[in-house]
Amino acid sequence: MSDDRFISVQNISKHFGAVRAVDDVCFDIRRNEFFSLLGPSGCGKTTLMRMIAGFEEATSGDVHIDGQPMGHTPPHERPVNMVFQNYAIFPHLTVQQNIAFGLRKEKLAKKELNRRVEEALEMIKLPGYGPRAAHQLSGGQRQRIALARALIKKPKVLLLDEPLGALDKKLREQMQLELRALQKSIGITFIFVTHDQEEAMTMSDRIAVMSEGKALEVGPPAQLYERPTSHFVADFLGSMNFFDGRVLKAEPGMALVETRELGHVRVLSDNAGVVPGRDVIVAIRPENIAVSTQKPKGDINSVKGRVDTAAFLGDRSNIYVMVNDGRDTVLTVMQNLGGAASRIGAQSDDIWLSWNDKAGILLPATAR
Amino acid sequence: MFSKRKMPFSLLGAYTLLYLAILYIPVLFLPMFSFNDSIYTAFPLQGFTLQWYQEMANNSAMLKALQNSIKLGVVVAIISTILGTMAAKAFTSYRIGYATPLKGFIAVPLVIPLIILGISLLVVFSRMGVPLSLFTIGVSHIVICVPFSMLVMISRLEGFDNGLEEAAQDLGESPWMTFWLVTFPLALPGIVASLLLCFTISFDEFLLSFFLSGDQQTLPVYIWTQLRFPAKLPNVLALGSCILLASVVVVVLAEWVRRIGVAPAENGADKT
Repeated sequence: MSDDRFISVQNISKHFGAVRAVDDVCFDIRRNEFFSLLGPSGCGKTTLMRMIAGFEEATSGDVHIDGQPMGHTPPHERPVNMVFQNYAIFPHLTVQQNIAFGLRKEKLAKKELNRRVEEALEMIKLPGYGPRAAHQLSGGQRQRIALARALIKKPKVLLLDEPLGALDKKLREQMQLELRALQKSIGITFIFVTHDQEEAMTMSDRIAVMSEGKALEVGPPAQLYERPTSHFVADFLGSMNFFDGRVLKAEPGMALVETRELGHVRVLSDNAGVVPGRDVIVAIRPENIAVSTQKPKGDINSVKGRVDTAAFLGDRSNIYVMVNDGRDTVLTVMQNLGGAASRIGAQSDDIWLSWNDKAGILLPATAR
Repeated sequence: MFSKRKMPFSLLGAYTLLYLAILYIPVLFLPMFSFNDSIYTAFPLQGFTLQWYQEMANNSAMLKALQNSIKLGVVVAIISTILGTMAAKAFTSYRIGYATPLKGFIAVPLVIPLIILGISLLVVFSRMGVPLSLFTIGVSHIVICVPFSMLVMISRLEGFDNGLEEAAQDLGESPWMTFWLVTFPLALPGIVASLLLCFTISFDEFLLSFFLSGDQQTLPVYIWTQLRFPAKLPNVLALGSCILLASVVVVVLAEWVRRIGVAPAENGADKT
């Protein structure tokens, strides 16, 4: 079994009546990978994870884990463990009993059992918490204990269903880093379900972006962010300006596109299907658009505009610029270096927006 | 902020006292007259005696009826609670078509007059040639106890995080062991409450027992037959006092169990 196809999701579908919660999804997950399923609520990511865990029966297709087809294998016989969204800490048991729950079948000697539990508590940085009752725990502690309880079984795969959603922002950011470090140190494949794109990008080796039951794109965070191939992914990750346009000229590696908002734009194009006359969408990240007071020199894409509103965020400002004689708006972001961004709102003179050829992303118009 | 007004002696206070007096004084007469040295249940009191308790202890017919009632109550409580728990589990854990009418259907015995139920069951049993016995009484008691048990268990199991059972299975336990390791312990306070409730209903149920008893009488039926003989009444008072004491003990016990059970469950539910 190759490590590249450690987990193989093969044409899996789940229909609830007429609703296609998961629709013919196909991808592979590598051994020891931190893999995220990312998408808005209702996109099918949780259903997909529950099928991997065995809590939902696939309508068609299957999941292979380490070469084994899972088929109808019930959850308690699968080599996966799960951290539930609400942690599902057993309220009638102590922390010790909760963590040891999965070891009951191994019939360990009491001493060995205690050692394993104490080891797990060390791992999640809650040593000595064993005798505590479940109701004495905070949200963050519950989250860690759910993690320890799942990992003590030494699963091949750990599934995490939005485990950080209930935590406050600071704790969440801390846990993201801890989870990532933990995953690297124990070397278990993690599948992480989240609707938070920043969370997914912070932690993941690769991300599958899901929408309406389909896995639209699978790839490393930087690839999905910088070179998305669908409108949905371009829109869902970070912020993005979209401009409808038509291809005027297509050369190898480069296309000239006419847009209403920006006029003529040069865009990198590695797609052979881009031919003159075709309707396309040009997408440009706000941070790739530079603002200047003078018309930029040299051979660079640029457009003249006027500041509409500037939203000051401290470290940066989101600046909405009116172009095309005030008929359209372009979002750009300016880092607040030496107070540069905090002063921009005061200007009412004309400014120039510019970006290089690599900033534009060409998307098919039909993908909208 | 207003401080709470101190309630002066008022109409409401008088009403409360009257209410409590009507509720409890007759009940307290029971033990009082059971120690009264007279076969007449009337004032003035004649002096202290334990005679009625001695007679009760030697009254084999009464003890037999008591034994019947306890046996019946225990069996009815266990069977009704098992059935009620299964129904409640089905309604709370699974999406069931027509759940509301089904629930209503199971609960119908709560609103059917017992006299109608008694007569119809009597007709059915005699038509089927089933001889009247503790068995027939038991069947009728189960019919009226299952809805109570189901309602108690639904209120216990509702808001129960289904994730807990999934977590147990995820950690390697079969559905059967999941039930015993997770579902049962968490439902236990409800199960105890249901057992006590069903036992109590069966223990003091009169109408159905009256219609459906053969030669094996339950205690309420026996007491009813004894009321015709004034000389037997003090025996009944003595027995009544014993039952009263036992009830108080059981209720205190049940409340204690409930409080133990509630504390962790409430915390388990505070997920966000």
